[in-house]
Amino acid sequence: MNIDELKDAWNKDDSGDMRLHLDTASLNKTTSVLGRLRKNMKAELISLLMSYVMIFAVLFWNVRSPLFFNITVVLLFSSLVITVFYFFRFYVFYKSIGRYDLSIANSIRKITYELELNTEIYKTYSFSAIPLSVLTALALIASKIRFDHLNNAIFTNSSLLPFGVMLYILATILLSFIITYVCINFHVRTSYGKYLTDLKQVTNDLGELS
Amino acid sequence: MNSKETEFLKQINDNKGILFKICKIYQDDTEDRNDLLQEMTLQLWLAFDSFRGESKFSSWMYRIALNTAIAFFKKQKRRPDDQNLPYDFDKAEEISRAGEEEEKLAMFYKAVQQLNKVEKALIYLYMENQSHEEIATHLGITPVNARVRLSRIKDKLKEITKKMNYEYR
Repeated sequence: MNIDELKDAWNKDDSGDMRLHLDTASLNKTTSVLGRLRKNMKAELISLLMSYVMIFAVLFWNVRSPLFFNITVVLLFSSLVITVFYFFRFYVFYKSIGRYDLSIANSIRKITYELELNTEIYKTYSFSAIPLSVLTALALIASKIRFDHLNNAIFTNSSLLPFGVMLYILATILLSFIITYVCINFHVRTSYGKYLTDLKQVTNDLGELS
Repeated sequence: MNSKETEFLKQINDNKGILFKICKIYQDDTEDRNDLLQEMTLQLWLAFDSFRGESKFSSWMYRIALNTAIAFFKKQKRRPDDQNLPYDFDKAEEISRAGEEEEKLAMFYKAVQQLNKVEKALIYLYMENQSHEEIATHLGITPVNARVRLSRIKDKLKEITKKMNYEYR
């Protein structure tokens, strides 16, 4: 048997066990990683918008500490600006990704590069936004509940925060950054790491040919 | 359904054999094949506006479908690309009932599962009677490389089928 002799059987093969279901509905369904990535990002945006609405509702409900209310508003708007900026970047990316009409080498290199770039942007976004959100949440809680030690520290007669409180604030910020960094890296590696490795392998295989 | 959709569905239906064979080359599991088929149809639909009729629809389709198949990656329990094929062919009984040609082709499909994604694209285009120049254009490589690599793939397939206790010259 010669591989070229197989071509007759290949041409005759009608793959009778497969069926093509062609309808408009099936044109909107996707099961690929890129498709899931788009869906995940959409779900993330919706849940973020909902959480902003809830935070604003809670913020204006029964304000007890004007100072912490003002701090919360500043932090909230800062995180909102960061979120809008990054999600705009993601939107532009997901609109452009997956152009398959180029040559295979160019398409795969483009997808690999863009996916890697955007996972890094996603990490950067999370790294900058989540600790800010943690601080916003703490300020929000503080605006509802009178934290005597924090209030005393801020409204105390001395002009500087006590050393212990400064250490406490530093530890809280540091911890939120560390937890965010570990969680985001784990999330990206488990969700898209294998896919990226696979694409890089294809790129290497193509590189050997060119 | 508008005229664009009608035209698209007609073209896809006329060339569905291309999609079926790519699915069989790239996935050996029925469910994965169906998912890949759906994804290729979706990507072809999304890219349909870029088809301007300058080349044959089938040529344009090869590129989109193969790109989709290569970039397609499912969360699955097992990955054919990473696995060694068991030497005892699990569908031997089923195949023995089929004709000799079908038997050889089924063996070919099984052996191809051990190639990497780029090699699969090369052998697929070769089986579709594409010239070395056409293969090179689709893949974005030089014709010389396409020829050399195809020769190596044929040798590799020969080795694989030998291991499968099937002489494949």
